[in-house]
Amino acid sequence: MKRVLSNKWNIMVFVLPTVLFFTYIVIFPIFKTLWYSLLNEIPAKVGDQSHVVWLDNFIKMFTPGRRNSFPGAVGNSLLYAVLSIFVQLPFSMFIALLLANGVKGESFYRNVFFIPVVISSVVVSLLWGRLYKSLLPQMFESFGWTIPKNGFLGNETTKIWFSFLPSLWQYVGYHMLLMYGALKSIPDDIIEAATVDGASGAKLAFRIQIPMIKPMLKVCLSFSLIGSFKLFDTPWVLLERSNMDLPALSMYVEMFSNHKYSYASAQAIFIVLECLVFTVLLNIVFKDRDERRLARGKGAARA
Amino acid sequence: MKKKSVAGTILKQLFLILWVFLCLFPLYWMVTMSLKDTNEIFGTNMVGLPTQWLWGNYANAWGSGGRVSNYMLNSVIDTFATLIGTSFLGYMSAYGLLRMRWRGQKAVFTYILMGMMIPMHAALYPLTEILMSLTKTHWALIIPYVAFNIPITILILSGFIANIPYEMEEAACIDGSGIYRTAFTIILPMMVPALITAAIFVFLQVWNELLLASLFTTDSVRTLTVGIKQMSGQYQTDYGSMGAGLVIATLPTLILYMCMSGQVQKSLIAGAVKG
Repeated sequence: MKRVLSNKWNIMVFVLPTVLFFTYIVIFPIFKTLWYSLLNEIPAKVGDQSHVVWLDNFIKMFTPGRRNSFPGAVGNSLLYAVLSIFVQLPFSMFIALLLANGVKGESFYRNVFFIPVVISSVVVSLLWGRLYKSLLPQMFESFGWTIPKNGFLGNETTKIWFSFLPSLWQYVGYHMLLMYGALKSIPDDIIEAATVDGASGAKLAFRIQIPMIKPMLKVCLSFSLIGSFKLFDTPWVLLERSNMDLPALSMYVEMFSNHKYSYASAQAIFIVLECLVFTVLLNIVFKDRDERRLARGKGAARA
Repeated sequence: MKKKSVAGTILKQLFLILWVFLCLFPLYWMVTMSLKDTNEIFGTNMVGLPTQWLWGNYANAWGSGGRVSNYMLNSVIDTFATLIGTSFLGYMSAYGLLRMRWRGQKAVFTYILMGMMIPMHAALYPLTEILMSLTKTHWALIIPYVAFNIPITILILSGFIANIPYEMEEAACIDGSGIYRTAFTIILPMMVPALITAAIFVFLQVWNELLLASLFTTDSVRTLTVGIKQMSGQYQTDYGSMGAGLVIATLPTLILYMCMSGQVQKSLIAGAVKG
């Protein structure tokens, strides 16, 4: 059998098509983007090196200027990340805890809360766009609140908040489900022991349940962070093309409207680097914590 | 064991019902919008049930003005072809990478999984160069969809394939079955649940994809997401038909979810690492 499973020809037939296809469509373009980001324009001839400007595009990206909206775009994506981490995730956690600790209708609620996740973000955005134009103003009026000038999405100060809202709303169910699954997999005897010791409600949640699902929190956090750097669909549909307020949108506009391919490539590379840096940071933070806890645990055991 | 106050329980239920309302309201709004005329949608009857149920909106969106039927067909073709591609290539390579024994298999496995970390944005312009000549065909979307979903498919399959004992192959080998027969008639049937899990994840990714679809499709191969996005501009005066288009575009995923909500949830949990 070993001979069959390590036959070189068989292995090649099974693996090589996928590896070549994947390399040509996914990996090769990424290196090409990296190369383009170092040029000032895409040369007509492959291998022509007279256009190399090294890091000029990246410097230009962060040179302050009235017409340079990229630093602001990055700032906005960080704002989305903050909202996602400090509002969306705690809210999802709250719901997950409520459901996991047992309420009537647990699985009904879980199934309903997940519905927005499976709907296309285009549909979600178009629906919210309509809400902002018809129902929400009416509601504001009947409550006697002032509607932002030029509408919710036309107003410079409010548009960023209202374009974030739909995707924050949409993915609450996803985070809730991930956390709920993790909470449910905590062994019952641990919860019981804690309950016997008098822990309940918030104390049980913060001392036992949340610390125990840290690995899943890491998944949720990286989903939030990477999602905010790549955020594209919802604001693109909601705000039409008139803006460059987020990194991915800015890249899209530079590339396909302004045809500055190499500059847009640099922005694409920046987005990738941002995702990688934050993934690594997240790993370091969570690893450090675990190690410290482990060290503390050992110290306690020795004492 | 636990003291449960009545007030607490009621408060909990109220809160959860409020969120149910907030989750479902946009859907309710979409469905009622699809059955109203523009006057009702703007003003006279925004939130109520339609006074007259205008099923004609659906006919309009589906056929004459809206061409949603076309978009739907294109989305179905692209999604279906992508699923065949990811399942076939994913299974073949998962088998080769995780079942067969050769030097460097770990390295190749890691190489492919690393592709998961990389957002499509990063490959956009070079992809344009490769695919621009194909935008009149379905291949312009199927090719990148398959390629970008191979890593997650392999990852989901890898979790399952590790649980199948090697004795299966040994027995097959003793019976004189060759590698292809072993892989496709003995191991593959056992991998069907894993393939379904991966396929549901990929289905939702591809069905809802907007960025590539808006770049690499010309009119005749336009998919639903791009189609309804365009309709929202085109139908400035006919919001009922736009609503109908939204409902039609959402139905397939909603039906899938209603029929197998547990399986869909499992798939999306399995794919969560994709970021």
